[in-house]
Amino acid sequence: MATESIGETPTLFLRKATGLVRGWNVRDSMIYACLATNIVTLGLYEFSYAPSTFPKGQLLTSVVISGIWVSFLVVAYSGLIVTIPRAGGDYVWQTRILGGGVGFVLAATGWWFILWLWAPIYGNILSVELFQPLWATLKWTWPGGGAGWFTTHNGIFIVSLITIALAGVLVSIGMSGYARIQKWCFYGGLVGFLAIVILLLANSHSSFVSSFNLEAHKLFGVNGAYAATNAAAAKTGFAASTFGFGPLGPTMLLVPMMMFFILWPNWGATLYGEIRGSSDFRRVFTGMFAGLWITVALAVILLLLIDKTVGWAFYQNANIAGTGVLGVWPYPVLLAGWLVHNAAFQVILILVMSLWFFGWVGTLFLSSTRVIFAAAFDRVLPDRAAEVSEKRKVPLYSLILMLLPAVGLSALYAYWSKFYTYTLDATLVIAVTYLFSAVALVILPWRRPDLWRASPASRIKLWGIPVVPVAGWITIALLVFNLYEWLSNSLYGSNNKSSLVYMGLMYVLAIVIYVVARLVRARQGIDLGLVNKEIPVE
Amino acid sequence: MKIFFATDIHGSEVCWRKFLNSAAFYKADLVVLGGDVTGKAMVPITAYDGYWQVTLRGETLRLDTREELDAIIARIRNSGFYPAVVSPDELTHLSQNEGAVDQRFSTEMLSSLDRWLDMADGKLRGGQIPCILNGGNDDIFEIDAVLESSPCVSFAEGKLLDLDGFSLVSMGWTNPTPWDTYREAPEADLAAKIDAVAQLVPDLGRAIFNFHAPPYGTGLDEAPALDENLRPTHGGAVMKPVGSTAVRDAILRYQPLLSVHGHIHESRGIKRMNRTLAINPGSVYGDGVLQGAVIDLDARKPKVSRYLLVNG
Repeated sequence: MATESIGETPTLFLRKATGLVRGWNVRDSMIYACLATNIVTLGLYEFSYAPSTFPKGQLLTSVVISGIWVSFLVVAYSGLIVTIPRAGGDYVWQTRILGGGVGFVLAATGWWFILWLWAPIYGNILSVELFQPLWATLKWTWPGGGAGWFTTHNGIFIVSLITIALAGVLVSIGMSGYARIQKWCFYGGLVGFLAIVILLLANSHSSFVSSFNLEAHKLFGVNGAYAATNAAAAKTGFAASTFGFGPLGPTMLLVPMMMFFILWPNWGATLYGEIRGSSDFRRVFTGMFAGLWITVALAVILLLLIDKTVGWAFYQNANIAGTGVLGVWPYPVLLAGWLVHNAAFQVILILVMSLWFFGWVGTLFLSSTRVIFAAAFDRVLPDRAAEVSEKRKVPLYSLILMLLPAVGLSALYAYWSKFYTYTLDATLVIAVTYLFSAVALVILPWRRPDLWRASPASRIKLWGIPVVPVAGWITIALLVFNLYEWLSNSLYGSNNKSSLVYMGLMYVLAIVIYVVARLVRARQGIDLGLVNKEIPVE
Repeated sequence: MKIFFATDIHGSEVCWRKFLNSAAFYKADLVVLGGDVTGKAMVPITAYDGYWQVTLRGETLRLDTREELDAIIARIRNSGFYPAVVSPDELTHLSQNEGAVDQRFSTEMLSSLDRWLDMADGKLRGGQIPCILNGGNDDIFEIDAVLESSPCVSFAEGKLLDLDGFSLVSMGWTNPTPWDTYREAPEADLAAKIDAVAQLVPDLGRAIFNFHAPPYGTGLDEAPALDENLRPTHGGAVMKPVGSTAVRDAILRYQPLLSVHGHIHESRGIKRMNRTLAINPGSVYGDGVLQGAVIDLDARKPKVSRYLLVNG
């Protein structure tokens, strides 16, 4: 028997019963939120595209603005989680609040189909942040071309396959083993990050210039690499902006780009427990919010130090030059490692920083498995989709549904250069799914007033105004702004016709699956319309 | 024959009302509630001179009229909690005396169940729609007699019930949990209990197992992994199987046509175990949603011809 109380007065008596769990450790959920909004794998990767896309935008300011805006998404999702706290997340909220068909189409596209497209993105990140710098530092020449091989069609495809295999194995192992690995990856990654901070703090710009020239010559045989990089950028007509505050317009246009790395603090958020109170909201919110703002803080620290030691203009020029001068992407970890003229140290730094990738890659297909299982249990997909092999405990059919298309799209990504632009839809489609979850939240008080009244989220008010629905509206504004920009501004590269057709086909595929399922099940005498139909109470 | 199976409503009055309407809603021939009928928490409402006071999910409310009081009582019941109207002295007594709380819990559970059975009488047309109930590990033993004596429901624990040629056997006991609840037993004892009821079945090809504990390691028994303080580990991201090996072994050995389970609310799903279709519809009673399974049985073959997990 347990008691909850306010002061000396008991307010709730609990008897001994199954499932009365205590709230989890906030630090754990903070770690997963921080890994999901990954400053190294996603942040550094996306930052490199900023100067070429919006040269007048202020990167640091856009990161902070994005952090503030996404904070509202954290509040909105915390509200949904404590109202309908199910591990199924968006799928459950949308099917319950918006209906089975809408829920399936949005969840299948946003948490399953689009993740096929994330596989080659993850692969590319693994290539530019681990394989290429490692091969370059160790001067390995196998396979033909050394580090450069990873930029060939075969190289890109093989690394994507490695990524898919890795993510598939981690799904099969299950979260119990992987969660532990993730934690150690996070702590190890932070140690690596700290080493980079110290290196950048302890060295001056001039020592960076000389180190850059020395190591670029040693590893790539490039003479005067620093000047060559600046010249290569100038040749494209690029004029680097200053680091300080600039016009808000171009900076705001960077916000949709920043979503690629910062939109995911809610990625793994779940809640269990039946006796819920306001402390649950605080716990869920704190984990995601802290994870998000640790990411923002790490980004701000890194960008400030890059400005101080690498030089802001040079950082932008290096990203404009891309692989043109060195032959590999100017990965900031590689550049920071060059401040120590020791190959062993550089290799260790690259390996330690790759922990940010390995702590993150396992989540690639995790949400897809959940959606596939949930859809199979709802009889939208064949029963087999949720089968797990008795012997090996591997969800074989759901893995096939995830891995095979991912392999196919990775091949397209590797061997058909035009397909690269389609990966820009990767964030957009998930944002559409988020948008409908936010819509579900703001209509919840009308659609399910009983559920809303009973939710701890309904009692969180500021000056008498309910915070969670307001956060829902601000989240809708954020997502609509981003979607408008992605779909109207050609600089993001996602509003071309073929890209829109590709995205449209994914939604059509989801609709077709749902309609076919309804028809097939109807012929079997099963009415899928009953799945979420509420039984009358009276 | 069409069966509607739900489980683990834990005192949620809105779910009970939905359960009573489920036969008509899903056109089911009979309805089965698989255990854990009673709630887990009691909310004291303190009666003062001319008003009542209650704290609900952190919000303290003053209730000045009987209507306000009734509305709050209904809200508490719909959440699966028991409202207990007490004087300030009674509240002090309860807060200082664990035995008194247990006693009050029992009183509230039994009176609530009585009220529910009165409702059932009307909804189930005085027993014309068969309604089968049994206890779960969280249910106190005192409810058994209440259910047994009801004319409109059949209490199923440890019995063989004939359902138009199909045999239903039921067991509300589970393997041990960290909460040391009422109907828990070591796996060997569970195996003996299952064997005892399985022996009663004339044709296992027409058997339905209604065992509260789900079979171990089947995906129907995945609960958040907990540390020694009953705190979910790794931010709640890690699940682990917590079902019964005795139930799993019995299903594989006896191969009933159908096996329905509950207990682990998060583990809604189905699992084919050779010839047997095992189902755990899960539970979200706290949301006022009645999760269940609508199952069609073909008496001629015999086989499960259709099933659908629903969120009613």
